[in-house]
Amino acid sequence: MLNLEQYELGNGLRVVLNEDHSAPLVAVNLWYHVGSKNERPGRTGFAHLFEHMLFSGSEHVGNNEHFRYIQSVGGVLNGTTSFDRTNYFETLPSNYLALGLWLESDRMGFFIPALTQEKLDIQREVVKEERRQHYDNVPYGTSFERLLNLAYDPDYSYHWPTIGSMEDLGAASLDDVRDFFTTWYRPDNCVLTLAGDFNSDEAKKLVDEYFGPIAPAGGFPPFTLERKPQGTERREVFESPVQLPRLYRLYHLPKMGAPDWIYGDLLSTVLASDKASRLDRVLVHERQMAQDVAAYIIPTEASGMMFVQATAREGIPIEAIESAIDDEIAKLVSGGITDDELRRARNRAEIEHAHHVENYDERADIIGMMTTYFGDAEVVNGWLDPYENATVDDLTRVAAQYLIPENRATSLFVPQS
Amino acid sequence: MIDRTQAPLPGSPRPYHFPHVTRATLDNGLRVLVAQNHNAPLVSMRALIRSGADHDAPQVAGLASIVADLLDEGAGSRDGIRLAEDIGLLGGTLGTGADWDASYISLDLLARYAHEAFEIFSDIASRATLPPDGLERVRAERLNDLLQQRDEPAAIAAKRFSGLLYGKGPYGVPMIGTTETIPAIALDDVRRAYREHYIPNNTSVVVSGDVDPERALKLVEETLGGWQRGAETPRPSVSAQALEANRVYLIDRPTAVQSEIRIGHAGVSRASADYFPLSVMNALLGGIFNSRINLNLRERHGYTYGARSVFAFRRSAGPFVVAAPVRNEVTTESVQEVLAELRRIRTGDVEDRELNDTKSYLMGVFPATVQSASDIAGRLLDIELYGLPENYFDHYRESIGGVTKEDVERVAKKYIDPDRALIVIVGNAKQVREPLGALGYPIQELDIDGNTIA
Repeated sequence: MLNLEQYELGNGLRVVLNEDHSAPLVAVNLWYHVGSKNERPGRTGFAHLFEHMLFSGSEHVGNNEHFRYIQSVGGVLNGTTSFDRTNYFETLPSNYLALGLWLESDRMGFFIPALTQEKLDIQREVVKEERRQHYDNVPYGTSFERLLNLAYDPDYSYHWPTIGSMEDLGAASLDDVRDFFTTWYRPDNCVLTLAGDFNSDEAKKLVDEYFGPIAPAGGFPPFTLERKPQGTERREVFESPVQLPRLYRLYHLPKMGAPDWIYGDLLSTVLASDKASRLDRVLVHERQMAQDVAAYIIPTEASGMMFVQATAREGIPIEAIESAIDDEIAKLVSGGITDDELRRARNRAEIEHAHHVENYDERADIIGMMTTYFGDAEVVNGWLDPYENATVDDLTRVAAQYLIPENRATSLFVPQS
Repeated sequence: MIDRTQAPLPGSPRPYHFPHVTRATLDNGLRVLVAQNHNAPLVSMRALIRSGADHDAPQVAGLASIVADLLDEGAGSRDGIRLAEDIGLLGGTLGTGADWDASYISLDLLARYAHEAFEIFSDIASRATLPPDGLERVRAERLNDLLQQRDEPAAIAAKRFSGLLYGKGPYGVPMIGTTETIPAIALDDVRRAYREHYIPNNTSVVVSGDVDPERALKLVEETLGGWQRGAETPRPSVSAQALEANRVYLIDRPTAVQSEIRIGHAGVSRASADYFPLSVMNALLGGIFNSRINLNLRERHGYTYGARSVFAFRRSAGPFVVAAPVRNEVTTESVQEVLAELRRIRTGDVEDRELNDTKSYLMGVFPATVQSASDIAGRLLDIELYGLPENYFDHYRESIGGVTKEDVERVAKKYIDPDRALIVIVGNAKQVREPLGALGYPIQELDIDGNTIA
């Protein structure tokens, strides 16, 4: 059990403290509740481009100085953007807690004065290179983008990936950056988590001093995201310069944390995790038709996603892989799963959770996630309970209910003819 | 009111101590290290077999990694599926692999099952069955891996760079083998390599995490004490090609929207007395985000998402290489900027602030990199692999702290040579060929297998 203390400042900033003196380190972690989900068509990729901008200095911190301040005292740092949130974090020697709070509060409260066109132009190029490196210049690089395009309607903002399109990245202006900051980067849209070696009373005082004076903004723009059921199966075959065909599939699930999402998580372990899991055993090991298989879910707030993917061995048509996967899912639905399979899946959930809270940095991040999505940091301490209580019938029911053609999108990458 | 215009001063530092390590050597020569840590109810078990792909004969390159891949295909009385089932019931994750220096077995698991896990772990280390059908499956998988790499620009660049630098021997032929060598590996080769290298006197076992050291030692002794000693095989020598002058090798990838650039030459072995000055110099040059090469190519020019330099410190001298993926249009400029940074670091033009920032980063970051049970196990494996002193990590910070500006200049002059470097570019030849001529170096075009194109 993690010892957690949570409270809110007058300006709406939610703060969670996890005091733990086992190593002389402190993790400072901020979750802003904004991600690519909040973008509109024509400005995709903006939340992520913005994340880059937030490393380029603020009123009292010069360009590139944010990195320098932290690295030069032995800290590690980064930020990431996803559909639903953007996080910023550093792990510092514990006697530098105030430094982390100073830097984070400066970019939360004093970012706009340091903004320049030149910084935007450079970061826009860097992000375009990031897109080239991870999407456009590598085999299967656009698979995630294609699958999202297929699975979600254009007005549902999981339709596009956080990296955005080259065209939209080119269109982002300084005014866009300012508007985005003013709308979303504010204390009442943020969770600040500290984990590690500090005295809670002293930490509270510092947090008050650095973040307390930052004013909250007005209301949030109206925002709704309702996914209409797909209705029919969605499927595409895409020719691309790859050597081996690969299947990418998305099954819709309820949102993260819902009971059926938890069962879906366990189910994905039963399907593909180690050699003894269903798809691994049959497709990779026994029939030796697949080079690799994977099944997993990712934490998404608005609606859930389970991914299944498999690469065909040389000479095996992707349709054979697809029907073998469907056969295994059908067997799972009709024959159920075993108690041992459920136990192994639970064990895996337990070890993954233990890894998440083992180090201060990941621990602070998962606390920030739980507080942002569920409004209560204590959710982290009860996270495994529904996993422990899941039954084989729960998993079989979820397989029967969700792993069906009308609830899936499939993108097949095949070599160019 | 706080003063926002100044960075706040630090408090007084809290002491850091690397965890206490309990050590033992069994009668059969097996070295055992145990470190306790209670961050989480987890235990990490590692076996380090001090033979890696450097032992592979050229005609069966990839052998060490094939042996490692086969370890989980069956051990003791369990076949591969049964192993996975039983490990899953213990909340465990098994990994096996080999690199140039060594072969590895790793088992991470829930602490409450540690007792049962030792038996499986010892079976994999000393009683792997290496079944023939497993070999055929792993072989086919490897050939498909090699096929997939033909589309991956970073993999192509790494292969061609190493091949040009080290030729047909260790470090030159890929450690995962080639389409010629993988089919040539026979079951006898696999079993002989396992018998020869997986012996207790060539192995260290590390256990870390939520475990009582005395109990862990006892369990290792019970499960691996009967493992039979064998004769140790001498380590083969490794040599790089001498380069006379800079030379560009261009590998065409017609669909490329970025050039994968590799610039470098032979580096230094891990045993070098200059290890610490080199670590500081490289961090400043291109080893960390705020290093010269990354700030230049990324933050000043916006040419790349990230560029870095690395000394591959292996048991013999691995390469020194700068790696940067950049958009096609700025390929030549990027090569020029990298070479300019390599020249500048040799002139002794190093600011005090820059040097101090780098050193305090390397000193300060150490505790953050050894938080988890598996982090600690990894550091102990380094000690065992490279024969470092037992108290190595207790003095790590002082060793970094002692590096001077003169040291940085000296090792840069000695180990970096921007006039005798390989420049490998995997990119869109039609777009980059002509601009690259501006470098003034000879350009040789190769296909992705390294064959010369006239």
